[in-house]
Amino acid sequence: MKDNKIKLMSHLVAGYPTDELAFTAARALVDGGASILEVQLPFSDPSADGPAIQGACTEVLKRGYKTEDGLIFIAKLHKEFPEVSIYLMSYGSLVYTPGVENFCKKAAAAGVTGMIIPDLPFDFDEGLTAACQKNGMNNIPVAAPSMSPVRLKKMATAGFPYIYAALRTGITGTETSVDKATIDFLKATGEGGSKLYGGFGISNGNQAKALADSVEAIVAGSVFVRIITENKDNSEDLYKAVRAKAEELTNKNN
Amino acid sequence: MTHSDNGFFNSFGGKYVAEVLRGPLDELEIAFKEAMADPSFIKELETIQRDYIGRETPLLFAETATNLLGGAQIYIKLEGLANTGAHKINNAIGQCLLAKRMGKKRIIAETGAGQHGVAAAAACAKLGLDCTVYMGEVDVRRQQPNVAAMELYGAKVHAVTSGSRTLKDAVNEAMRDWAANPDTTHYVLGSALGPAPFPDMVREFQSVIGREVEKQVKERGLDVAAMIACVGGGSNSIGFFSPFIDKKEPVLIGVEAGGIGDGVGENAARMTGNAGREGIMHGYKSRFLLDDDGQALPTRSISAGLDYCGIGPQLAALGCSGRIKFTSARDDEALNAVKFFAKNEGVLFAMESAHAGAEAIRLAPTLPKDKAIIINMSGRGDKDVFITSPVFRKTEWLSFLHSEIERLEANEDIHTAQIMGK
Ligand SMILES: Cc1ncc(COP(=O)(O)O)c(C=O)c1O
Repeated sequence: MKDNKIKLMSHLVAGYPTDELAFTAARALVDGGASILEVQLPFSDPSADGPAIQGACTEVLKRGYKTEDGLIFIAKLHKEFPEVSIYLMSYGSLVYTPGVENFCKKAAAAGVTGMIIPDLPFDFDEGLTAACQKNGMNNIPVAAPSMSPVRLKKMATAGFPYIYAALRTGITGTETSVDKATIDFLKATGEGGSKLYGGFGISNGNQAKALADSVEAIVAGSVFVRIITENKDNSEDLYKAVRAKAEELTNKNN
Repeated sequence: MTHSDNGFFNSFGGKYVAEVLRGPLDELEIAFKEAMADPSFIKELETIQRDYIGRETPLLFAETATNLLGGAQIYIKLEGLANTGAHKINNAIGQCLLAKRMGKKRIIAETGAGQHGVAAAAACAKLGLDCTVYMGEVDVRRQQPNVAAMELYGAKVHAVTSGSRTLKDAVNEAMRDWAANPDTTHYVLGSALGPAPFPDMVREFQSVIGREVEKQVKERGLDVAAMIACVGGGSNSIGFFSPFIDKKEPVLIGVEAGGIGDGVGENAARMTGNAGREGIMHGYKSRFLLDDDGQALPTRSISAGLDYCGIGPQLAALGCSGRIKFTSARDDEALNAVKFFAKNEGVLFAMESAHAGAEAIRLAPTLPKDKAIIINMSGRGDKDVFITSPVFRKTEWLSFLHSEIERLEANEDIHTAQIMGK
């Protein structure tokens, strides 16, 4: 029996615009039907992100935000929403500098179940996959449509339980059209049996529906960061707007 | 260790990029190797090096400086005499020729001091390529003469307002652009850093400096004790040092920006400072100025071209192995060096290169007279009048700026009117 709800992994920048409002946003996402929260730890040089997310990260860091603050935020989310998986998204520098092993241990203790670190490639990950396994987490590599068929196959058959498929070349935050090429790319990425998360530029229910059958969950990020930015002065409006968008993407009210 | 082993220099280097950039990097690596093995490409490169860049550049005996300092003979490799005023043109021309060969029509570049931006813009103008240059807003402000030149060459200069609004943020912005447009666009990275194959490629295109030095030294029978270059990302230094890396001599010295002090945020000393550590950023593993979490720390230097939180992986590896010795020079020492060589040798160093000059001033008196030291003057200081004038002649400069503003506001801008046909 298949219900018509779409699984959503929604992205959130830890501490943006404040810890409190970020928490409100997370609640709205969960209430709106998100089953996975992808929490981005702000990094000074987020080279794969678009302006919305980059701006959010810069603002949080201006407050002197530390990795520890982000992990405290995650631990709080985990306590509040134990049924929701939390994936930590960031860049290699924040993982490598304190030591990959050490970082993974702390992340797992905070309640993280998966890591998405786009600039630690799956075949040069500085021990991330092993450290994740050791700590009961998954390393979730990011595939891109521009990957050579040989390289994509290598990733698809490397035994990762999950792969994050970035649906478009380029950066986050601009509109993606879901067409035959997208679906073909997803097929190739899932060839080895990995479950897929598909995202990049997903901002409306129609895109979500077009993807639903091809992925384990759809991923949406910049659209929420923009809604959060627009409503950062009013926590009630923020909750309502974020929840409404999550409901649209998860097809929750249909 | 003259080149990488599969993209790595000992443990430094690599391709730590999101998968979107992997394809373009692999494509570039193959194209670069093919081009360098193709005699027709090398011939084309050599012709343009001679006729357009103006190679070879002279090796000047700085006789007055030598006599004043009273020690080793000081020689200056005048890269500042290369067309567009700095060594950056060697790399820009090489990469733009390669991009053309790869069928790319559009070039993007990042720049700090603007010398790389100027070089990329000029190379694009020469070779008929479209050019966009990313530059931190702070650098746009302090390097206006170069921004003007880039625009004259027909480039679009994009002021980057994110992060610290300096070179590292321009690097991020250029990487994003490349990730979105890899089919049409080549990213001409301006220093010997970033993901493989850039460190190898930039070094090869800059190694023309070192090869000429090797020849010039032989012709004159010099006994070279030390070679000195400033180190931002490390392209002028690695190119200058390149033929000597596998030899035991001379001593190779890299000079980092000492800024205004030793405190965090006061300099850009990744090899010699307190905050330099191993890290992964901007697509490569090297030494960076990072906090305990791995966030980039703020940097500071009077010279925009040295104001960067990372260093090329090959230099980092050679620094760790001891083949290259690192030191730093502070802003005021660099300013003094500008003055010293301008007055005594008629050579105006770029602020970046003046860091190497400052080290030479310290080192020469400690060495015997029969030894030579060579400074790589990576660029000339025309671009820096807005930095040096307020220091050396503040009153005159203020009055000049005031009168320029008045003239512009009064619309007495006859030259523009003439050109525009008004
Ligand atoms: C004149 C000059 N010298 C040196 C540098 C430092 O760069 P690198 O260390 O890569 O040569 C720059 C960079 O902009 C420059 O413009």
